[in-house]
Amino acid sequence: MENQNKSVLFGLYNDEEVLLSAIEKANDQHLEIMEVFTPFPVHGIDELLGFTESRLHIVGFIFGAIGAAFAFLFMTWVFTSDWPIIFGGKPYFSAPAFIPITFELTVLFASIAMVVTFYAICGLWPGKVNPTLDDRITDDKFCIAFDADAHSKEELNAIKLFFSETLAEEVHTKDI
Amino acid sequence: MNNFTFESKQKMLFGGMMGLGVICLILSLFMDDLGHQTRFWSNFMHNSIFFTGIATMVLFFVAVSVTAWGGWYTVFKRLWESMYSFLLGPALILVGIMVVAVYGDFAHVYHWMHPGDDEILIHKSAFLNKNWYAIASVVVVGAWAFFAYKLRALSLAEDNGNGGFAFHKKIRVWSAAFLPILGFSSAAIIWQWVMSVDAHWYSTLFAWYSGASWFVSGMALTVILLIYFQGKGYFTKVTDEHIHDLGKLVFAFSIFWTYLWFSQFMLIWYANVGEETIYFYERMNDYPVLFFGNLLLNFIMPFFVLMRNDTKRKRGTLLFASCVVLFGHWIDYFLMLKPGILHTALHGEHAHDAVAGFSMPGLIEVGTFIGFLGLFLYMTFRRLAKMPIEAKNDPYLDESAHHHVGYGGGEMHHDAHEHH
Repeated sequence: MENQNKSVLFGLYNDEEVLLSAIEKANDQHLEIMEVFTPFPVHGIDELLGFTESRLHIVGFIFGAIGAAFAFLFMTWVFTSDWPIIFGGKPYFSAPAFIPITFELTVLFASIAMVVTFYAICGLWPGKVNPTLDDRITDDKFCIAFDADAHSKEELNAIKLFFSETLAEEVHTKDI
Repeated sequence: MNNFTFESKQKMLFGGMMGLGVICLILSLFMDDLGHQTRFWSNFMHNSIFFTGIATMVLFFVAVSVTAWGGWYTVFKRLWESMYSFLLGPALILVGIMVVAVYGDFAHVYHWMHPGDDEILIHKSAFLNKNWYAIASVVVVGAWAFFAYKLRALSLAEDNGNGGFAFHKKIRVWSAAFLPILGFSSAAIIWQWVMSVDAHWYSTLFAWYSGASWFVSGMALTVILLIYFQGKGYFTKVTDEHIHDLGKLVFAFSIFWTYLWFSQFMLIWYANVGEETIYFYERMNDYPVLFFGNLLLNFIMPFFVLMRNDTKRKRGTLLFASCVVLFGHWIDYFLMLKPGILHTALHGEHAHDAVAGFSMPGLIEVGTFIGFLGLFLYMTFRRLAKMPIEAKNDPYLDESAHHHVGYGGGEMHHDAHEHH
């Protein structure tokens, strides 16, 4: 979130099926949803919100490949030129012995890079305060939020009508 | 279309494949460098074991899915029921012939059949002997066939039931009972059938590794058949979502197979105990093309081709990968069996020249594979034609028809919650 405050109009729902049909209705009415919050992943919600496939796994692949290359080349360097030791009568360059560690570093690089990338893209860093619209959306409430600043008064009234039509339990406005 | 017709064109094709297989088997009786019809018996065993295992692993996976409350496969469960029906009849006959050949001393494929004064084999003879081979083969495959019959019969009876969970509960009890039986019996029978061709050698991982090979082949064959049947207008409820999940199984279990293959290889390589390394020493030095080709076909190819989400949903790509993997695992079984059999046939001597049908699969071997594949497909199609291809009254039918793997890809799938 930027420093300047933003006014958000949001409705809370009790059930994910009600939420899904509300989103469908919002799409039909061409209402511009800012964000939807759910306490758990809801099947089919990505398609309704028009989300395309995440590109996070591409990061995973690239860093996994880097991890594999790094581990393999590093061990090759250590065991052939930096500090060659004979283990169990094997040659200095013993590819099969390098495979388990190569595998481990592939997984390590890919997973850590994906976590770091994900946090960086979301703007989450240590000490970051992320205000919630309502604490219950991490528990049992499903929330559709609209950017109140971007809409005129008539449009906001239409959104409120939309909330009551789609059986929202509560409707609030909050500055965050 | 809820009734599958086994067209005469398909019957002709599979009949032709089986004919080719029979011709190749007959040819292998005469084109044999080793004597004792070793080429014939090794080809026969190789393919019998491979296809019996495929049917068994399909049965295993149905039982696992039922036990784990899985329902996604219900719209095409008749295909799996037809595939594991290979155990009812053909597999029993093929294994029966193997048993007769070993028990009657016709096939000289196992070193332990004639231990002589070999101390290791005398010590192992409590397990590696003809009686135990015959009894275990018949009892184990008989048990698998019994469970195949039972699960299929209950599933068909469910069609005429009144809905509800009554049949499903029974199916789950039988499935759960089958799992531990399969777990122990498949390992024991793999030791007997496959691992004991190198009678001096053993590996505790071996049963897992060759079982995984069967499993991947079974999933690959499922993909191939499902795509074929959909092209013919059957299994209309099977969507990209089901195909995607089957692709994931081919991908994931290719990696699992590689994991086991490598675990077995690396421990033996590292420990460097002569009686263990001989297994890989022979295969790496005398069969380098097959040894490394095995990894190329069964790991490198599926790993890179099927890694992406969209390649598992593109039927052409998935079909290609599945065909390669199916053939690749047939090669894998070739490499498990043939070097040991050759070793036995040469009485432990080292082969200095290439031996037809052993050093490399020849046309006769490929023809035999096509013949057994024809038999497997013929039985699958025949079974499928005998039952309604869409199950009725299965409590998971609706869930399966709306199966959704949560792949975005920019497509709009409103049907995800339409049924609510």
